[in-house]
Amino acid sequence: MLHKPNSALVIVGHGSTVNPDSSAPTFDHAEEIIRRGTFGEVHCCFWKEEPSFRQVFHMIDRDDIYVVPNFISEGYFTRTVVPRELELDGAVTIKGHRTIKYCEPVGNNERMTELLLRRVAEVAPGVDPARTSLFIVGHGTDLNENSAVAAKREVDRIAGMGRFAEVCNAYMEESPLISKWDELSTQPNVVVVPFFISDGLHSYEDIPVLLGIAGESLGAASANAKEVFRRNPYSLRGRNLFYASAIGTERMIADVILDQVAVFDAQRAGTAVV
Amino acid sequence: MRDLTLILNDWLLAGAGQIGQVLIRRAPSGWELRHLADADRDDLHLQADPVAARHIATLDDAGVFRPLKTAPNLIRGWRLVLRDAGAVRLALDYLYPAMTGVWLSFLNGALVEASLRETLGRQTGMYRVTQRISDSDARTTIDRFCAGCLKQRLWEIDGPNHTPPQLLPPSIPLLCHEACNLLVAEIRKVVKAQTIQ
Repeated sequence: MLHKPNSALVIVGHGSTVNPDSSAPTFDHAEEIIRRGTFGEVHCCFWKEEPSFRQVFHMIDRDDIYVVPNFISEGYFTRTVVPRELELDGAVTIKGHRTIKYCEPVGNNERMTELLLRRVAEVAPGVDPARTSLFIVGHGTDLNENSAVAAKREVDRIAGMGRFAEVCNAYMEESPLISKWDELSTQPNVVVVPFFISDGLHSYEDIPVLLGIAGESLGAASANAKEVFRRNPYSLRGRNLFYASAIGTERMIADVILDQVAVFDAQRAGTAVV
Repeated sequence: MRDLTLILNDWLLAGAGQIGQVLIRRAPSGWELRHLADADRDDLHLQADPVAARHIATLDDAGVFRPLKTAPNLIRGWRLVLRDAGAVRLALDYLYPAMTGVWLSFLNGALVEASLRETLGRQTGMYRVTQRISDSDARTTIDRFCAGCLKQRLWEIDGPNHTPPQLLPPSIPLLCHEACNLLVAEIRKVVKAQTIQ
């Protein structure tokens, strides 16, 4: 079990200037890891909120620092913005007496598959997978092409298990479009899981509108925004539709963050990661 | 290894009574934090978990999200009684993120300010366009936008701010060592609006 009392953990998130639910899962995961006492200290930092990327190193006491991006995939932020703002040279950066270890983003971890299955079981308890179409929904634009790749990878893994009648990719802004979920699936039960790191406009509003389960805007900052996840199942277009909140809100992401640290150590030690 | 908790404890014992809009006082079982404007109230909602500070800092009075924690709109009506400096440190990192650590770096001579041009100069993607802002528009934008923040700017458009920060020991100051993303985003809006015109 990971135990690093002499190290600090920094969890890096995107954040938002309008929606507190963007950074909330990152803070929640940090608090869970603090509660477990795995690290000597745990901090968060954000692109659009505070503490900022440029402030966070001033918060840290320890010289051995792990940085884990709480992002759904590799991409512009993990490869360009975070290294630039944190002044990282690569996987390991030495700055004076400090060693900063830059881990892979949360979404790259193999346990994301386990989390998706867990989320499906939570949102659609007792529903027979053999009569269920599962959709994993990504953003799907050129800017986020790697998030689409990450979502596709999860679809392939879950499909390979043979448990669900169908496992499908769908996107908000490119084909296959989630708005065509009834044409893309054949089973009486349909489960839709947004493959995002936090809830926000996309999961509260955009996808529900595309699915046809919300007709008008509740607004991402609305106190009622989470209601859309509490009305399952939706009887729509002759199916039972179950809609989950973003996968990044799953409590087990804290384990995935710790796992990314363990993966980093194992890779640097040259040992195989199981 | 630096120990900010130990140093914060020294600051507290020395009478560090204020940070931003927060009043810090000695309590029988540790330290008490409350809004400055609530100094004399005895009807405050008492909480003992430092994590409660996260939720105190999230929304303003109107229920609107506060992405900038040093905006002068911290809600009132709460009282945090915390057992030790470690809990105070955690609570302050929610109320005024990084500000105790930034202050310690300043005291240690380890806080390096970045001019606005340096900050804009390294922007990529959608924020690269901010590099086109003129000095006069940057001045206007800084004066307008940063008026809504309690931090003291250590930087200027082309270099350090030569006006030294106002320090009122033993209170903990709020220091800004480089432009935040919120200001950079605001500058982008200004440049984009001019492009459209």
